[in-house]
Amino acid sequence: MKNLLELMGVEPDRIHFSWISSAESTKFVQVVNEIAEKVKALGPNRHFVKQEAKVA
Amino acid sequence: MTDWEPKIVSFLCNWCSYGAADLAGVSRMQYPANIRVVRIPCTGRMSPKFALAALREGADAVWVSG
Amino acid sequence: MDLIQHPRYIDETKCIACGACEEKCPKKVIDPYNIGLAKRKSIYVEYAQAVPLKYAIDPESCIMLKKGKCGACQKLCPVDAIDFDQKETSVKLEVGAVILAPGFKPFDPKRFDNYQYAKLPNVVTSMEFERLLSASGPTQGHISRKSKDHGDPKKIAWLQCVGSRDMNRCDNPYCSSVCCMYALKEAVIAKEHAGDDLECAIFFMDMRTHGKDFERYYDAAREKHGIRFERTKVHTINPAANDNLEMRYIKESGESISEIFDMVVLSVGLEANPAVTDLAKKINIDLTDNQFCNTNSFSPVATSRPGIFVCGAFQGPKDIPQSVVDSSAAAAAAGEILSTARNSLTKVEEKIPEKNISGERPRVGVFVCKCGINIAGVVDVPAVAEYATTLPYVEYAADNLYSCSQDTQKTMAELVKEKNLNRVVVAACTPKTHEPLFQETLTSAGLNKYLFEMANIRNHDSWVHKNNPDLATEKAKDLVRAAVSKAVLAEPLKESELTVNQTALVIGGGISGMAAAQSLALQGYKTHIVERDDQLGGQARNILQTAKGENVSENLQAMTAGIESNSNITIHLNTTIDDVQGFVGNFKSKINENGSEKSLEHGVAIIATGGHALVPEEYLYGQDPRIMTSLELDRKMINNDPDVAKAQTAVFIQCVGSREPNRPYCSRVCCTHTVDSALELKKRKPEMSVFVLYRDIRTYGERELLYREAREAGVIFIRFGLENKPQVNLEKKQLCITLTDHILNRPVRIETDLLTLASSILPARDEKLAVFFKVPVNEDGFYIERHAKLGPSEFATDGVFLCGLAHYPKPIDESIAQGKAAASRAITLLARETIFTSGQVAETNPAMCSQCGVCVSLCPYSAPDFIPGDARMNAGKAQINPVLCKGCGLCVASCRSGAIHLKGFDNDQIFAQIFAINMVN
Repeated sequence: MKNLLELMGVEPDRIHFSWISSAESTKFVQVVNEIAEKVKALGPNRHFVKQEAKVA
Repeated sequence: MTDWEPKIVSFLCNWCSYGAADLAGVSRMQYPANIRVVRIPCTGRMSPKFALAALREGADAVWVSG
Repeated sequence: MDLIQHPRYIDETKCIACGACEEKCPKKVIDPYNIGLAKRKSIYVEYAQAVPLKYAIDPESCIMLKKGKCGACQKLCPVDAIDFDQKETSVKLEVGAVILAPGFKPFDPKRFDNYQYAKLPNVVTSMEFERLLSASGPTQGHISRKSKDHGDPKKIAWLQCVGSRDMNRCDNPYCSSVCCMYALKEAVIAKEHAGDDLECAIFFMDMRTHGKDFERYYDAAREKHGIRFERTKVHTINPAANDNLEMRYIKESGESISEIFDMVVLSVGLEANPAVTDLAKKINIDLTDNQFCNTNSFSPVATSRPGIFVCGAFQGPKDIPQSVVDSSAAAAAAGEILSTARNSLTKVEEKIPEKNISGERPRVGVFVCKCGINIAGVVDVPAVAEYATTLPYVEYAADNLYSCSQDTQKTMAELVKEKNLNRVVVAACTPKTHEPLFQETLTSAGLNKYLFEMANIRNHDSWVHKNNPDLATEKAKDLVRAAVSKAVLAEPLKESELTVNQTALVIGGGISGMAAAQSLALQGYKTHIVERDDQLGGQARNILQTAKGENVSENLQAMTAGIESNSNITIHLNTTIDDVQGFVGNFKSKINENGSEKSLEHGVAIIATGGHALVPEEYLYGQDPRIMTSLELDRKMINNDPDVAKAQTAVFIQCVGSREPNRPYCSRVCCTHTVDSALELKKRKPEMSVFVLYRDIRTYGERELLYREAREAGVIFIRFGLENKPQVNLEKKQLCITLTDHILNRPVRIETDLLTLASSILPARDEKLAVFFKVPVNEDGFYIERHAKLGPSEFATDGVFLCGLAHYPKPIDESIAQGKAAASRAITLLARETIFTSGQVAETNPAMCSQCGVCVSLCPYSAPDFIPGDARMNAGKAQINPVLCKGCGLCVASCRSGAIHLKGFDNDQIFAQIFAINMVN
């Protein structure tokens, strides 16, 4: 999946996978923090967004 | 762009990560307000099409968690 | 019976567990749930998963209840649930049966001065360690020391049998059954958390991993995780520098060792709770010498007093799967005596006719919940509700103070009717706890309950973004928009109704199958037993006596007579199963009885196909009549064989075929059986020399007392390892065994007249049956149950159950308990007569199906199958049985033709959510 996205010009850090059990709230928060940080570093997604004229 | 906040479309399994997210709430843990949860019955329901659709529609990232 | 209900000082009907009271409660106390490792408030919920999720006030610490001042919670509670005037109430109940499940008390090691648990902070109990490992525990799963440095331990030791198998320092001679396995688990998880630089060592006497898949876990702990095992009893723990601990012990080789650890975990045993002992005396039921409930192997969940049953660790130390088996068995035992009362107190719910909304334009009602201040304190709720009115198809939107309160529910139902709404969205807490409640509201308003969607703006929003109200409000709007867009596409779903054939089929007429059939029949259900052999009884026919000394053949005869005389039971001997069609509620099985074909219709099936003893291929088995298996010795003892009476010496070899690389499981029963046989030989002839050659003695629970008794009677136990197994030779007709004694470390030679091989138990391995019922089999040939801990007596495939040796080797008492348990689980289906399944199931579109079969092979519940080739419509295409479907969506995602749709979570609904989330405001 990551490879496919890279091929399409989307940064691999825009997709994340994880496994968290329903008791692992700490891990949940940790993963959210990590992902949010990585995505903030990348900046807005521009590469694959459909480019249609949007009515303002 | 200083106040830009990314939108992360998050596909969470009803039985696992969705429960963890609920529990994080019960425990009043704090985390960034960037995720938007789509509840799915099981990660088996997840299809690559959903991830692509989210990115195409302008999501800044996709997160799939079982 | 008279019950005393203690006050919780909270009105349960009002409390919504918002937590406002806990936040402001000024009194902090030690949290007993976290074994004192953390603090909680005086007003509390015991743990996050507590049911019901309602607060309680601890009267021992509450300032208001103690001193009459404070009352902060009362002022704060938004629903006025605090009631300091609650009093103890007594409740009188008239019941036909009582089930005791009071559990155990962990052993308190404070009284052991040699381990200095009370003094040394880094000596902890296994219960404390469990909380340290827990993701929701006081350290969020991070292992830290209790000493002031709170450092990460680098070297942890586990000491086994603390408060178990010990008559010197405490009076607990029994084995606690579960500690070896939990110590292994704790060590493995600790290493998984802390990484490779954590050293773990377990100090033990015998490693008792006798449960299903436990031996494999032990092997992996040793070989894959690098956990060290020391077979020794540690005598003292002394303080060392930096709050470390010095342990002194003698290695197996005799070498005296002093080693430093920075944390020691005491694997404490299970003991009876004194309060329960008092209760037992009060209600007059018999206890064992160790204060566990006394039961008979043939009625393993019945106490000495008729109508009172027992399950769980009060009956004896046991692990989760066995406790779950016992609890189902106790329910069955109660059901047997109460079957005439079944459904006599049932109330029928009033049915409200469902409105037909087909063809209607969606008219969505959105209710945004404030949850007191829980949501409204962060999220601008009126703004969200206001925003919702601007969304397409939204007819009505408003906010509620508490959406879940009874009067709000009523108002909502009225609004649905008044505004003619046909979809409802509630933005509030989590659907995991509240969806059913709101769905009920829809039903009461005449709407299909699947025309509903929730937006989680509390657990996923207001609670976790407290410091960011603007972003939280934005997020709430996004979530509401997504929920509305999904709800618009919701369709009314039908729950399929299925009539359950009220007949049961039990496959296997061994002791567990017999127990299952008997329980079903006593609860009023027609039952067929299919037995391959020409008589009932199975392996039990070869067994002399149980570990408790009960004569097996006498009890078996009584059981057989009971089954033969029960008019609800039909016995099919010399019968095999040729084919099975259908699914839960409606099976059709073809049987071959004495050569003639018959067809049976049944609603449920219980697989009790049992197992048999391995025919040994080592230790010269088959080459001399003096060498026999354990069951063959039993047969000789039942027949009072003169060879046994004549023998001067008898030797037993354990683990013959078990715990070997090609069969890495423990057969569970052989140690106890051997010890019992050895004792019987000694009883019959006290001067006989009896040797038991073993690898670990696994006489778990109170069976340990037999092991003690055998040693006291002079039975000699010699241990060997897998790498130096005993050698058996025939020297001029003399049977000789040589091995190295583990204490003397010298070769020992025993000449013997009898050699008994404790051969392993093999499952019946009937692949055809597994295919017929679509149930899985593990590598060893035992059937795989729905859940190793919580569903031991049923399959993931609905309507099919299992018990006895087909599940895993087990003694008679556990086989009978599981037989009853399987019956109990089966009756949860039979008693309903009709089953309604969830509407959120997958459905195929035959026009799109390419017949690839991926869904058929992938589904864990065997719901998809192919329409028969000779069918008139859609022959060869896949179809999904809505009764078996659990709505996981695995098949939907795997279908390469896009032919499968998951109702309630269909592609267009998920896409709609994705689009809605990303819509720019």
